Amino acid sequence: MKKFTIITMILVVVFSAFIQFYEPGFDESEAYNYSYAPRTLYWGTSGKDVRTVQDKLLRWRYYDGSVDGVYGARTYRAVRRFQEKNGLNVDGVVGPATARALGMPEAFASPASAQGTNRSADEYLLARCIHGEARGEPYVGKVAVGAVILNRVRSPQFPNTVAGVIYQPLAFTAVADGQINLTPNKDSINAARDAMNGWDPTYGTLYYWNPATATSKWIWSRKVTLKIGKHWFGI
Amino acid sequence: MKNRKTWIAPSVLSLLLIASLIWGYNQYRIREQYEVALDNHYQRLFYDVRDHVQKVQVSLSKALLASTRERNVLLFTQIMNDADQARDKLAQMPISHADTVTTEKFLTQAADYSYFIIQKHMEGQEITPEQREAIKSIQLNTTAFNEELNSLSNSMIDDNFLVGMANAGRRNRDNDGGSTNALVTSLANMDKEVAKAPELIYDGPFADQMINRKPVGLSGNNVNLEQAKKAAVDFIGSDRIRNIQAFEQGEGVDEMRIPSYTFQVEDKNTRGVLTYVSVSKQGGKVLNITNTRPASERNLTVEEGQQKALDFLKSKGFNNMEPNYNLRYDGTVLYNFVYTQNNVTVYPDLVKVKVALDNGEIVGFDASAYYLNHKARSLNEVTLDQEEARNMIKTNFDIDSTRLTLIPKGENEVQCYEFKGKYNDADYIVYINAETGQEEQILQIIQNENGTLTF
Repeated sequence: MKKFTIITMILVVVFSAFIQFYEPGFDESEAYNYSYAPRTLYWGTSGKDVRTVQDKLLRWRYYDGSVDGVYGARTYRAVRRFQEKNGLNVDGVVGPATARALGMPEAFASPASAQGTNRSADEYLLARCIHGEARGEPYVGKVAVGAVILNRVRSPQFPNTVAGVIYQPLAFTAVADGQINLTPNKDSINAARDAMNGWDPTYGTLYYWNPATATSKWIWSRKVTLKIGKHWFGI
Repeated sequence: MKNRKTWIAPSVLSLLLIASLIWGYNQYRIREQYEVALDNHYQRLFYDVRDHVQKVQVSLSKALLASTRERNVLLFTQIMNDADQARDKLAQMPISHADTVTTEKFLTQAADYSYFIIQKHMEGQEITPEQREAIKSIQLNTTAFNEELNSLSNSMIDDNFLVGMANAGRRNRDNDGGSTNALVTSLANMDKEVAKAPELIYDGPFADQMINRKPVGLSGNNVNLEQAKKAAVDFIGSDRIRNIQAFEQGEGVDEMRIPSYTFQVEDKNTRGVLTYVSVSKQGGKVLNITNTRPASERNLTVEEGQQKALDFLKSKGFNNMEPNYNLRYDGTVLYNFVYTQNNVTVYPDLVKVKVALDNGEIVGFDASAYYLNHKARSLNEVTLDQEEARNMIKTNFDIDSTRLTLIPKGENEVQCYEFKGKYNDADYIVYINAETGQEEQILQIIQNENGTLTF
């Protein structure tokens, strides 16, 4: 009995100390190196750099597919295994930290005046927002959500950058509750890409809402144009 | 033994209590720190908005007085910058979009209008009486906004409503922005005031006319759902359709940029593969097809795929289409085709076709840009020849190819010589107006693993 109480007390002290001094895992080196990111590789990307990743993973026996330069399911699983073994954030995305662990070259050789000009960062951000907002929707509904965001970028009533629109306060529930930080799946990435390439199933619509959960009275004053899945799209 | 037991339980409990109290206090302190940081950020945004709006107002009144174009260009550059900053910062405050929608639009258009005036001045034109009226109306609105913001910031001395704003976001969401916060009320009133101002008529990307543009490439009567469905079935081929159903429309459908019907088609041969088709209401034209079948193998080359896409376009009645750039993804390639008329590349009339490289199937088609812009055009003989246009560009721009094109310029289209070439090792496209010799547009080309993009 005595032993039991002592153990309990020690546990309590350890627990409270843990709660007070614990700070969620935050690796500084990772946070500060984002700006040097050459290119983030994820499910759906392809190219020479994907081939390099596959080649390295194949030699280290994480990967058993062919080295074809296409980031597919097998590459995704191999990257996850690699990240798990190496204590990295297991998300199946080759970001700066994973690239460094793989020993990938740090940057691409492109002319100085064109360096860093890229669309994929916006594409990935859009994919994350689509994933957070419309995970369970049909594919056309996902593209429509992406298209609404891009329509807002082009509208005078909203900020004119993709990030400005997505992170506008009170605009998207998935941003407010952090679901935007989930890793997007292949469907969401494809939908973001289709939207960026100009497919707009809503033809210029600026709003969408879920009639079952929408709380704003104002949103109900919008005119509905199209209903896809759970979402109503309107102007 | 019994004695001992009596003190153990209470002491464990009180330890627990103390631990949780310390923990709770810590949490409270951390939360307070975050809230103060956020409140400070919002206060900064508010004061910034006020200053930028004030600068816009002052510069506008100077611009109304200024009599030289040079002075005006400088003033309008400042107005553009400050109006943009004010809009950007206003959009970051935790205020419901419904309360600031018109103010945001006003600030964007004020910046856009300034850019329009700068362009006019650069082309050597003076401000017309109508434009002067428009500037006056912008100035009136800015003055009202400025006064509103000033009285808000004065009242902050007594009662700082921005403290606690960090929480306001949550409250707003719960009760539909019905917060009694002075800032929200004031901005909502301002929003109603601004809405009364006349619409700005000008040529710029954020002008109402540009946004509310209607398709010019569609003709004929409106079709009903059944006719649209038939058009979709005919386009895809009825032998490939297991089932087709339409998405439900709302009463505002006619306010879409291109009013249209959207269908979901189940493939007959492969289960679970969906194709989405949209058909325009006017004229019943197929605007877009997207097949969601994944493709990862590559049995065709990019060139063979391009031929497939061209054949497809021909079979659908799109003639004189010229391949432009393409983007490669997984096992598909997205080709861009541009309409040509008398050897002039007409960039606004763009059609996109996506081909799966495993079996050459057309998995995507988008002609919405084409139907938005396509019309019968009479292209005039241009006044400049290629050599004269070439002389307008830097001599060390290393040119690979030249051709005559038609590019969009605001609401209008202009004929330009297109020079593709290299400068400082990077690729660019320069457009020289074939009438006036002006440099209309410069695009930078970015080559990556997937293909070519222009910025």
